Amino acid sequence: MAAQPNGTADAPIEVSAIPTVVGINFGNSYASIAVLTKEGTADCIANEDGERQIACAIAFQGEELYIGNQAKHQLVKNAQNTITGFRNLLGKKFSEIPSNALSISAPVIQHPEIPDEPAYKVKVLQAAPSPLPSTATNTPAASKVATPQSEPVPVDRILTVSEVTSIFLKSLIKSAEDFLGKKVQGAVITVPGWFEQVQKDALEKAANDAGITVLQLLEEAGAAAVTTTSGPEPEGLSADRTQLLVDLGASAISLTLLSIRQGLAFSLATVSDHSVGGDAIDDKLIKHFAKEFTKKTKVPLTVCPATDAQDKRAEAKLRLALEHTKRTISASPGAATCSVESLKDGYDFTGTITRLRFDMEVRSIYDRVYEKVKELVSAAGLDLYDVDEIVYVGGSASLPGLDETLSQGFPETIVTPFTQGTVVGGGIGDPTTILARGCALQAKILAQLGEGTEVEREVKASFAHGHQYTQAKATSKTIGLLFPEEGAESALGGQWIPAVLKETPVPARRIVAFNVDLGESEEKRVGFEVWEAKEGVKIEKVKLPKLEDEEPVPEGEEEEEEEEEEVKEKTVEKESLLTSLSFTAQHATKKDGRWTTRLEVTTIVREDGALEVSAVEVGASGKGEKNVVTVPAA
Amino acid sequence: MATVVELPVVPPPLPASWAPPAASGKSVSPLVERKLLPAGQAYLAHVQRAVHNLSFEEHDKHAEQEQKRLAALNGAGSSVEDDLGVGEEEEPEELLSLDPKEWKKQDHYAVLGLSHLRYKATEEQIKIAHRKKVLKHHPDKKAGAVGDSNDDAFFKCIQKAFEVLTNPERRRQFDSVDPYYDLLEADVPSQSQVTKHKNPEKYFFTSFGPVFEREARFSKKQPVPMLGSYDDPKETVEAFYDFWYNFDSWRSFEYLDKEVNEGSDNRDDKRYTEKKNKSERARRKKEDTARLRGIVDTALAVDPRIKRIRQEEKEAREAKKRNKGGVNGSVDAKQKAEEEKRKAEEEAKKKEEEEKIARAEAKKAKAAAANAAKKARRQARAAEEGATA
Repeated sequence: MAAQPNGTADAPIEVSAIPTVVGINFGNSYASIAVLTKEGTADCIANEDGERQIACAIAFQGEELYIGNQAKHQLVKNAQNTITGFRNLLGKKFSEIPSNALSISAPVIQHPEIPDEPAYKVKVLQAAPSPLPSTATNTPAASKVATPQSEPVPVDRILTVSEVTSIFLKSLIKSAEDFLGKKVQGAVITVPGWFEQVQKDALEKAANDAGITVLQLLEEAGAAAVTTTSGPEPEGLSADRTQLLVDLGASAISLTLLSIRQGLAFSLATVSDHSVGGDAIDDKLIKHFAKEFTKKTKVPLTVCPATDAQDKRAEAKLRLALEHTKRTISASPGAATCSVESLKDGYDFTGTITRLRFDMEVRSIYDRVYEKVKELVSAAGLDLYDVDEIVYVGGSASLPGLDETLSQGFPETIVTPFTQGTVVGGGIGDPTTILARGCALQAKILAQLGEGTEVEREVKASFAHGHQYTQAKATSKTIGLLFPEEGAESALGGQWIPAVLKETPVPARRIVAFNVDLGESEEKRVGFEVWEAKEGVKIEKVKLPKLEDEEPVPEGEEEEEEEEEEVKEKTVEKESLLTSLSFTAQHATKKDGRWTTRLEVTTIVREDGALEVSAVEVGASGKGEKNVVTVPAA
Repeated sequence: MATVVELPVVPPPLPASWAPPAASGKSVSPLVERKLLPAGQAYLAHVQRAVHNLSFEEHDKHAEQEQKRLAALNGAGSSVEDDLGVGEEEEPEELLSLDPKEWKKQDHYAVLGLSHLRYKATEEQIKIAHRKKVLKHHPDKKAGAVGDSNDDAFFKCIQKAFEVLTNPERRRQFDSVDPYYDLLEADVPSQSQVTKHKNPEKYFFTSFGPVFEREARFSKKQPVPMLGSYDDPKETVEAFYDFWYNFDSWRSFEYLDKEVNEGSDNRDDKRYTEKKNKSERARRKKEDTARLRGIVDTALAVDPRIKRIRQEEKEAREAKKRNKGGVNGSVDAKQKAEEEKRKAEEEAKKKEEEEKIARAEAKKAKAAAANAAKKARRQARAAEEGATA
């Protein structure tokens, strides 16, 4: 168990408006905690062991209880009493759990008392019973009862999945309270998108048993969306964008395509796969290092799967050491080492791996992820070129090789945490902390909601899962403004300004402001058409232009086959004219003989689909008259 | 809040032939059902609009109010901290270039930015001032700055000043010799300065007032009577001088001690320095007492109120005399009674004296009698001895 603090300090007397709420990212393999900072942002905190990524594991050894990364180390020698991977079993019946799953930790058994309930059996030492209480008439010497055993007794302890989760969550909250110096008032906890209601209920119950007030169980995609939409938009991104969420956890990958429209997010498509993940990367690397070990020491070592007990132990040791290797690879472009003392038969092992070699070893995993991404995007009826931003979640997603592999299919303008340089050092895009921070921010929003009136309660309730307010309608076509132009080059015949993108939840309002060139005439006419547009991606195969400084190919020789490259381009086509607007500018200013004016166009799509477009001139002296056109709902 | 997206595009002028096409009658393509993620500020706004049935403009207003409310809440809570009037002080170049080794010579109040408060600064104010200075001058803050980034001299000065001022005993010692008051102490008006002034009465109060106010801080007894004003009655003035002549000061001069060389093994050396320090302290204390006495003497000598009181008393006496010499009928009953009382007192005194004399005489007689008896006894004894011999 983690070292207990010796003594408690009084919480500092501080009247602050920051609610003491935390965000918890509760993954199957790792968890993290985030708290709110003074500035109102969220920050991922380390537990008392200095770990921001806290392994979801608890281990029993004698009278001691280990939680987190310390428990993971117990996997080497005390695997039978170490429990991992319990989150995914929450709310499941024993019969639902595949029994053939290979487990490296304590096996899941049928609970001896509760029918069809999965449980873990661990051996613990129970503290010695205290000697009989001595009273005036009953001194220990005078007692007829045999003197109780004074040593701890080994007993079997049965723990349900829910109990294990409670123990673990309690330790997380304890860490947060130690950090904050205050009692935690509430928490937002992540759940994977594929969690069913019964699983969510089980998690909520476990959290309540641990004494945690659950403000909301937030889907992982939601947590990521909160983090990426709070704060200023990164350069090159607008508030309306399509975001690809790549969550490469230790045990599974889940991909989500999100439509983010001024902070409002919904999922367009989602895919998850339990066969790809950080553990699969580990397996590849373990094999690589085991081979190297055998080559160096001539000691045979079969891993993944290991059969021999010694090999199993060696594999567990390697798996622990790899954690460090992976982090080094993610953080620095150089080579990373992996060293294990007494890996097998007393031989130490030290190996290095360069980033190139590393990427080669796990290439198949990267490619698998890329395939899944393509699958996801096409399931949503989109093209890779429609994605504006990639967000990575999970420790394995910090690997630069993954980003390199994925980026090849996307346009060059794609924004990823790697292009932004926000991956390392707790940046906004740090994949390991992004979910916990999102949860903390969400917790802040929820904690500030009032509960005084009926209406306020209704607002609060709307954050519950599957509430009616989460059902929303969205536009299916992009609506934009077209400013006709004489002799326009594009097929549209003028300047196109998209106002309300497709997949925007309604009611929606978008305001755009820009300058309009009115030409030299004194007419000062302003006008535009409102169109619905069809967006697409044009794929052209072009031959690569020959570089000029290449030597001319001597005639007669076989002409080299020219490479072809796919060039993708976003296209916009006019589909249906909705309405138009035209008026004479009042606040135009003349500069270099040309009139210009500043226009603010507000486009509102009502809940029933009615459209209202209004244009206002913004002059030096204030706003001008409002020119409105409306299109009724169908 | 209404987010206005600024676009860099500039649409070109309309073609002359363009006429606004009539509305096509088509409406927006059918909407599709989506499931929102219940997360983030935007979702909250979306729900609020739906629940309260607000239009976008109404919601804007609502949100603005909410923001103001939150800002007010935060403002009251954390952002504006009460610094108890510590404020900010300028830091002249010479202050920043102080040498921490010479800490005994530095003005601790100036270092912490408390020179406007000095001995009046409370413990809480000192803490706040220290925090302010540390935030500004901590070496970590200067790490990236240009120039001599390792220069933490002033930070050390701050720490030293805080150390001295937070220890009540050491603070008293420093307050005793606060360099800020050194110059002021020398600036006490002399007797001639007051008397030669155009308006000596007014000058007395304006010049001596602050002097006594300053000296009052050393008093063990608080509150200390202040100089007051010209119209004070006799009792107040007398009480004032009475207090100041019996002034009980806590001022001490340990701060100016010469360092005892701790490293030296020579016990005699140490004792010598200690002895010297002790005598020096005593000398300074004596000097200080004398100085204060001098101030009070000067004040008493030139106090216009003393003059006034004497004048009044004289006038009263003269008035009495005149009354005595005047018509008897004008002597009022009160004066008569007083006279009688005095007479009675005098008589009583006389009587007492007489009694005293009588008592003394009786005593003398008694003593004489005793002497005589002694003589007689001695003679008798001598006679007896002679008889036996």
